[in-house]
Amino acid sequence: MPSRRRTLLKVIILGDSGVGKTSLMNQYVNKKFSNQYKATIGADFLTKEVQFEDRLFTLQIWDTAGQERFQSLGVAFYRGADCCVLVYDVNSMKSFDNLNNWKEEFLIQASPNDPENFPFVVIGNKIDVDGGNSRVVSEKKARAWCASKGDIPYYETSAKEGINVEEAFQCIARDALKSGEEEEIYLPDTIDVGSSSQPRSSGCEC
Amino acid sequence: MQEPELHDLSDNAEVVYMKDNVSIHHAMLASERISGRLTLFKKGSCLFMAWIPYSNAMVCEKDRIVYSIREVPLTEVRSIRRHTGWQYIIVVLASGLALPPLYLYNGGVKEFLATIKQHVSIVISAEDDNVFLVNDFQNPLTTIISRRRQKVHDHHARDLSIQVLEKFSLVTKFAREKTWQPFCGDSNNVSDRSPVLSPLGCDEWYTLLDSQGRIMDSEALRKRVFYGGVEHKLRKEVWPFLLGHYAYDSTYTEREYVKAMKRAEFETLKKQWQSISAISPEQHIIDKDVVRTDRCLSFYNGDDNPNVDLLHDILLTYSFYKLDLGYCQGMNDLLSPILFVLGDESESFWCFVRLMERLGPNFDRDQKGMDPQLLALRNLVELLDRPLHNYFTLQRNCLEYHFCFRWVLLQFKREFEFDKTLRLWEALWTHYPSEHLHLYVCVAILKRYRSKIIGEQMDKDTLIKFISELSGQINLDGLVRDAEALFICAGEKGDACIPPGTSLTAC
Repeated sequence: MPSRRRTLLKVIILGDSGVGKTSLMNQYVNKKFSNQYKATIGADFLTKEVQFEDRLFTLQIWDTAGQERFQSLGVAFYRGADCCVLVYDVNSMKSFDNLNNWKEEFLIQASPNDPENFPFVVIGNKIDVDGGNSRVVSEKKARAWCASKGDIPYYETSAKEGINVEEAFQCIARDALKSGEEEEIYLPDTIDVGSSSQPRSSGCEC
Repeated sequence: MQEPELHDLSDNAEVVYMKDNVSIHHAMLASERISGRLTLFKKGSCLFMAWIPYSNAMVCEKDRIVYSIREVPLTEVRSIRRHTGWQYIIVVLASGLALPPLYLYNGGVKEFLATIKQHVSIVISAEDDNVFLVNDFQNPLTTIISRRRQKVHDHHARDLSIQVLEKFSLVTKFAREKTWQPFCGDSNNVSDRSPVLSPLGCDEWYTLLDSQGRIMDSEALRKRVFYGGVEHKLRKEVWPFLLGHYAYDSTYTEREYVKAMKRAEFETLKKQWQSISAISPEQHIIDKDVVRTDRCLSFYNGDDNPNVDLLHDILLTYSFYKLDLGYCQGMNDLLSPILFVLGDESESFWCFVRLMERLGPNFDRDQKGMDPQLLALRNLVELLDRPLHNYFTLQRNCLEYHFCFRWVLLQFKREFEFDKTLRLWEALWTHYPSEHLHLYVCVAILKRYRSKIIGEQMDKDTLIKFISELSGQINLDGLVRDAEALFICAGEKGDACIPPGTSLTAC
């Protein structure tokens, strides 16, 4: 067995209140959905082990408060992020319109070394609602916006039904890895996402 | 009453001052005070103080050991505060911690201080002529000597402060155990010195009111609620007083009048937003939040629950009432228990308004409410748990205390089960013994988990996760008393930890 050097990858989930940030994180890490989530206060995170060839990474996924008012706390939590996930609700135009604000705010607060090339992933969530009949943001519109922002990868998900969540996070993990270790590692097209989640993180990059 | 035996003092001690019938008279003890003998004695060239309780029917041998203050070297005393009138002294140690007040009912404070003066440098504080500073050397030479001496004692001083604190917690625990039994059911005796630990019930409540409905002794009520809480069905009567919605000295008639006026005012406020068809961004957030607020309680669960609508309407009305602050996430958590207890829409609104008068700054955009609180918490931990403070100092970004953000913002709403939160809040709202007691509750919780935090070498992220996952796991029993004991131990040094203008628990 080759050596398993552990590395931490830090991911931040942002987006308007109630778009499903906590649900996405829990669906991905715990394969669970609940109607009983409370509004996130401050910030919290879950971790998941992801495997890439012979190396094991700890994906540290930070869930944040959705109300813009709490953003002055952001700087404390955004520091050292390797990827930022922008989430909106396909049934809410406002949550889509705000994506740009979230993106700009993140770049200001996290001040990454290379803001031009910092990896973002956009998720349009809640595609299950009302069988898609209450949808107000079309996939085309969302993809056009992502393309205009430097080809941000785009996924449509249902955290409730578990649709496309795994795929979105595989992309997130890959981009975080690319961002964190670009010069060191050759990247294959896919990574194997481990099924077991580890409750403990191995270190701090804050 | 039996004399303290000789072996209470160590050998080769030369007693230079002795006073009998000096008592610890802590508010949480039953009416019986614990009396003992205060001494000053020399060993070699060093002066020590001690206070040993008498062994008698009330205090068994084991508890005498718990209560005893043995051999505190005067080199480790920072100051002594004397209180005239009721004569008592409070000895503050170099670490900033205070020993419990020692009451000298038969006088003797003057002689006590005079004896110390014969052996140790002692000067009256420039700020308060009832405070005597011990070892406060102005002369640079003696300062150096003093520092060197202090260095030698530093390690010991730290240990001593923890010992004192732990001893005090034991006293607290002892008092709790001793007072619980005799006072359960003793419902008509709310005397100054006998905290009753069963919840305040209806029968007792009416004995606290005069014929016009005024609360005769508001301090006694607050103290009673702090130690015992309120029976659930009585909460809707008592909470509006604790929150300042009704004045303690208001009559039944006055309260009926206020209630009617405030109801009319509330209806007018509510009409403001009902007449606007456009939906504000805040309304969107309120819509999202009320359907995820305490939905597991039967009071809020199920589809089309009218109480969820009330929650919504009150929060939206509040956002119009306080346009500058508006609605902020977390307010839903603060309102939910109030509506649950009071039921009435207008009454809940106004009680919530009162609560927000104190907690509102915590929701400010620029953190100008939260930052002073987290700073105060950091100062208090430095004072009351030096090992934990030292640990946090060595970790990156731990001194910001962001991991306690939710505790303070939501006043522990997410940390305890719902019914425990009700009990905790009513204790905090009494402002007895301190309006900042919630910060001491934070310290008490951190102390409970200190060995785990340090033992597992938690870094900032791990700590955030650990504390987040404590939600619903913390045992409230004894916590309020621990916080009180910490508050008492911290004394005025604790007050100094809290920046002026720091928002309070509630009015």
